[in-house]
Amino acid sequence: MTKTPGAYGASGRQAATDLLRKVLGARTTTLFLTILVVSVMLTIASGGSFLSSRNLVSVLMGMTYDLLMAMGMTLVLILGGIDLSVGSVLGLSGVAITMMMSKHQPYHVGIPGAIAVGLAVAAVCGAVNGLGVAKLKIAPFIVTLSMMAVARGLGTVWTSGWYISGLPDAYLVIGQGTFLGVPYPVYIALIILAVFSIVLQRWKPLTQAFYIGHNPEAAGLSGMRVALVTGAGYVISGLLSGLAGLFMTSRLAMGFFQFGVGAELNAIAAAVIGGASFVGGSGSLVGTFLAALLIAVINNGFVLLRGDPNYKTLVQGLIVFVAIAVDAYRRRKEIRE
Amino acid sequence: METILRVEDICKSFAGNQVLHDVDFSAEVERIHALVGENGAGKTTLMNIIGGIHQPDEGTVYFRGEPVSFANPLHAMNRGISIVHQELSLVPNLSVAQNVFISGQTNEMVPRQKVNRFGFINWKELYADTRDLFDHVGIDIEPTTMVSKLSVSMQQLVEIAKAISFNARVLILDEPTSALSEKEIDRLFGVIRELTRKGVAIIFISHKLDEVLTIADQISVLRDGRMVDTVRTEETSRDEIIQMMVGRHIEDMYPSKSSGVGDVLFSVEGLSRRPYFHDVSFTLRRGEILGLAGLVGSGRTEAARAIFGADALDAGKIMLDGKGIQIKSPTNAIQHGICYLTEDRKTLGLFLKMLVRDNIVSAALNRFTSQLGFLRRRAIQDESMHYVDYMQIRPPTDEVEMISLSGGNQQKSLLAKWLSAKPKVLIADEPTRGVDVGAKAKLHTDLRKMAEEGIGVILISSELPEILGLSDRVVVFREGTVAALLEGDQATQEEVMKYATR
Repeated sequence: MTKTPGAYGASGRQAATDLLRKVLGARTTTLFLTILVVSVMLTIASGGSFLSSRNLVSVLMGMTYDLLMAMGMTLVLILGGIDLSVGSVLGLSGVAITMMMSKHQPYHVGIPGAIAVGLAVAAVCGAVNGLGVAKLKIAPFIVTLSMMAVARGLGTVWTSGWYISGLPDAYLVIGQGTFLGVPYPVYIALIILAVFSIVLQRWKPLTQAFYIGHNPEAAGLSGMRVALVTGAGYVISGLLSGLAGLFMTSRLAMGFFQFGVGAELNAIAAAVIGGASFVGGSGSLVGTFLAALLIAVINNGFVLLRGDPNYKTLVQGLIVFVAIAVDAYRRRKEIRE
Repeated sequence: METILRVEDICKSFAGNQVLHDVDFSAEVERIHALVGENGAGKTTLMNIIGGIHQPDEGTVYFRGEPVSFANPLHAMNRGISIVHQELSLVPNLSVAQNVFISGQTNEMVPRQKVNRFGFINWKELYADTRDLFDHVGIDIEPTTMVSKLSVSMQQLVEIAKAISFNARVLILDEPTSALSEKEIDRLFGVIRELTRKGVAIIFISHKLDEVLTIADQISVLRDGRMVDTVRTEETSRDEIIQMMVGRHIEDMYPSKSSGVGDVLFSVEGLSRRPYFHDVSFTLRRGEILGLAGLVGSGRTEAARAIFGADALDAGKIMLDGKGIQIKSPTNAIQHGICYLTEDRKTLGLFLKMLVRDNIVSAALNRFTSQLGFLRRRAIQDESMHYVDYMQIRPPTDEVEMISLSGGNQQKSLLAKWLSAKPKVLIADEPTRGVDVGAKAKLHTDLRKMAEEGIGVILISSELPEILGLSDRVVVFREGTVAALLEGDQATQEEVMKYATR
């Protein structure tokens, strides 16, 4: 897993180095230290229960859903867009998977089929987003905001507001099974993180995203397939949201149309705190990971110290606000240099 | 003659990059002193230090015989040193008078606050004082006019008046004539001469050597951050100045023309995309540079973009190496070996926040990917450093952000990018725009070398001397179509203008 973001890794010798890289590099250190400090504070405040294995697993699991969506969000932000539909796609694909395999429902497609349908639904949502942005040239905010509403609506209508139960035990293993005490989804998410991170830096079709997000006209005039890469970015974001929906429904042993409500805020926060910018052309998966972990730690601390759940949204909103403020400050500093 | 400003042994570095080495410079009242040098030589940095925008790392600035250190530009302006930058800094929605007295800070020499006892603006006094100031300087603009309604040249005069309102004793003008017409330049020079008569010292930064030789009393030449020499205009010549700027003789501005031309490499027939252009046809032979001349708006860039696949053609045929080809997109065009160097390097050609290295390979990524699609980093590093050497890009590294390079070096990087794509045909649109003499000559030589190596070069330029100096044949565009094809010696300024207008 590479630690340096940007299109190429630094050779580290030259005196005149990439300013952006320096800023982002410092960012991952800052995030890491922040996580350390907050963890220490929570351990003390909770009398040690923060470090209990049950709690740590809870932190990692809480991070996993956000991390998956945040990885997709990072790619979309690098491309200069945004995806507000990730939470709704999580919900809808979770509904689709559970509907297909539930013994109370008429479909009875079996586990592999159900998963295939769920991920296909997620991919289609992503493709529709991609088409809207790349081909119809509609603003990403508008396209994905509509998808957010449509996907959530479809999930609601399909389930008539009821939760789906009656899932086969074999399916529940995916989300609930553990290895060395840590649930499978955590490993899978981290593996995806490692692979995605390398691929984003080194694999030509995806590395182009940095060029495209930075300057789409120049990228097109340099022979890059802007529409294709942009569309693919949204499909990937959709698929990752679908995967999060799979893990959530498997772990909680039910399908529910409300799963993922508000998740897009956390995904955006993690991606932006991790180094992505709304302007496009920059982003770091490692940074996103650390940011998602930090958010998960803070949320966990909230619960652990028995914070009023009514305040949870407020706290989450404040985190996003801080993320945007830091991004704006960072850009102003860059311009001044 | 009073030496009102003197700098001694000035050194300045940015991020480890030294841009000024032990520079000495002085300016006298009632004199116009020009500062020339290639892009990146350090002219603007030196002026910014004098004007209080930067602090020197070493060295001293003496104003009126005393060492000074300006914490910020306003400090310098209050003491009497003002800069009129190339990018004007007026507020468009306010009136001229409001802009002139926009800084309400009181100044020992001139009361600037036009407010009454309660803090409300005294409009009568504001406009009256502005009118007096303009009369003093010799400018004829109504102070109540909104700045946005003024032409660039008039805005520039307002900026100069504003500087004078601070009782500037030293006025620095950075590339003042780049956006002006001949008449406006004359008027500006009139105002400048009037100011010198009134005792101001003028420092004039410019690329345009002809103007500098006309108006300046003295010329200082900077090269690579060092002051080469300061000479009196009457004692020097254009060639001598150029030689000091680049360190060598530029014998001919342009390399020699083609020694021998081969068979037809590329041709277009009946290209149309109404209303931009129609019935455009021409051929390009191996080893030659074909120039596309014409007034701005005559359809050359539009035709080039359509050939490159960036815009769709309504009709027309394109032939490469004797075979008809269809170009559906820039991706397609590059695959065929047809490349287009864009007119506007900053918005269409370069990725300013990415490294020089990333930019150089941006059109040729396919050449550096393995079977599985992974980029071969070593190969990319080798390729980009090869071009940094070949194109003499400064600083000589590929690991800096493109935005930190001077205009000339950015343009060299842009050409390197397209060379890296290994083109068969290169359409170069304004390849030397905004580039200084030394870099221009180098780019011209590179284009000729490309042609000699068998690459077809189509040159679009609005600088007629460049088209005539570089091209073997010239196609003249007028109002969207080809008006004439001129062979070698037929192509003269008169002939081209004859067909380009009418």
